[in-house]
Amino acid sequence: MSHPKTPHVVDARYMEPPEPFVKTMEMLDTLQAGEKMLLLLYREPHPLYKVLKQNGHSYETELLPDGTFEILISR
Amino acid sequence: MQALLSFENAPPFAAPLRFFLTAPLFAVLAGLLVAVEGPAVFASRWMPAALAATHLVTIGFMLQIMLGALIQILPVVAGANLGRPLLVARIVHAGLSGGALLLAGGFLFGRPLLLSAAALLLALTALIFLGTTLRALIGVPSTSPTIRGLKLALLGLAGVVGLGALMALGLAHGWALPLAALTDLHAGWGLGAWAGVLLAALAYVVVPMFQLTPGYPARPSWWFPVAMLALLLLWSAAVLADWPVLVRLVQWLAALAGIVFAGLTLRLQGQRRRARPDATYAYWQFGLIASILALFMLSTATVWPAAADLAGWTLSFGILMIAGGFMSFMIGMLYKIVPFLAWMHLQNSGQARVPAPNMNRILADLAMQRQMKAHAAACGLLLLGAVWPDWFARPAGLAFAFASGWLGWNLLGAVRRYRWHAADIAAKLAAR
Repeated sequence: MSHPKTPHVVDARYMEPPEPFVKTMEMLDTLQAGEKMLLLLYREPHPLYKVLKQNGHSYETELLPDGTFEILISR
Repeated sequence: MQALLSFENAPPFAAPLRFFLTAPLFAVLAGLLVAVEGPAVFASRWMPAALAATHLVTIGFMLQIMLGALIQILPVVAGANLGRPLLVARIVHAGLSGGALLLAGGFLFGRPLLLSAAALLLALTALIFLGTTLRALIGVPSTSPTIRGLKLALLGLAGVVGLGALMALGLAHGWALPLAALTDLHAGWGLGAWAGVLLAALAYVVVPMFQLTPGYPARPSWWFPVAMLALLLLWSAAVLADWPVLVRLVQWLAALAGIVFAGLTLRLQGQRRRARPDATYAYWQFGLIASILALFMLSTATVWPAAADLAGWTLSFGILMIAGGFMSFMIGMLYKIVPFLAWMHLQNSGQARVPAPNMNRILADLAMQRQMKAHAAACGLLLLGAVWPDWFARPAGLAFAFASGWLGWNLLGAVRRYRWHAADIAAKLAAR
């Protein structure tokens, strides 16, 4: 799945926890320096935010009209 | 679930558990009170035993679970970390339990001293809870409808407790207060601005997560909490200005907002991708239908005020909204949260070397489904009791006590199995 913001996308909107967290961490591991990935979810993942901050990743979140949170994470 | 109740930020199991295990006891007490007092409870909403039973449920059951759950999930749904969660839990739990008993006793025995003590204790407890949570939330930007909803719900809590304390003190000291108008307003703040807004703020997260449904659309999600708070402020102003037409208009609009929220949630649940309906899903379906019926009754009474004078009308509204609606949403969520917390703490104590048992082994779906049928039957009997109290009041009270006791038994069983597995895991780790 691709997206205008980045080709690296995890669409976790119908995944059962902890799958969204696991898939995101797996994809982050495959990214090259300077690349970004996008996580799609129907909620804001505060525990993931905490882990991202601890590991030095930056992220930007946008809420779309249909209730999807788009979280753009930098390697 | 992990996203809701993360490993790292989780307070100790004892923090929320004390609330979840004592809440069913208050509902049992309310049911027994109805069974003992009999048809007199259903004579009107102003009967001392009716007021006592109502507050055993709203404070002893509902408020316990709401505050206990918030202590657990604020870090995870809002990224807000409470300072010393176990200490806050102990104080708030003691204050709520004592306050609910004092208030019920004050109503039942008509003792001004008990009413005053209850008012002061409950107000102090709410202030401590509000102070702690506001301090945790103050630096958190409202980046989602859930966070905004949680902040506004806390204003709702301040409103319902403030008005309740004022009325209890007024009753105790014989102050000249417009009690009928204030009671409706107090119920509006409690069920609309506090419980309703809190439910919506959490539903935005848990409905898609528990049932794998689409998300709530963003625009109405942002607006629902704001609209509810604005309506309650307007309702308060209308009571102060003694303008009953505006009160009715606001009630109609609040009922409409509630129906739209409940209808939207039903539609989302209809689009769920989880194949097998579980107890939580069934509880939510039942709760949504009961609350939609209650809100239709409320909107009917705003355009046709004589309806509220029909026998059992107001009591039926309360039964549908509180026992049918809010209690069902809460039990449905407890049935997800308690097994998950048990599993999570077992997973942690296994240190990735001994696996935790499946959640269904901690609390089986069949036990929850059966208890749900008992709760639904109790709600039905309570409604019959509101209309034919001579026939149904006592059986309804007993059925309600039985269903609530069964809930407590189910939760206690989960905790017992949790403790057994925890000891088992510790023994296996020691043997390595």
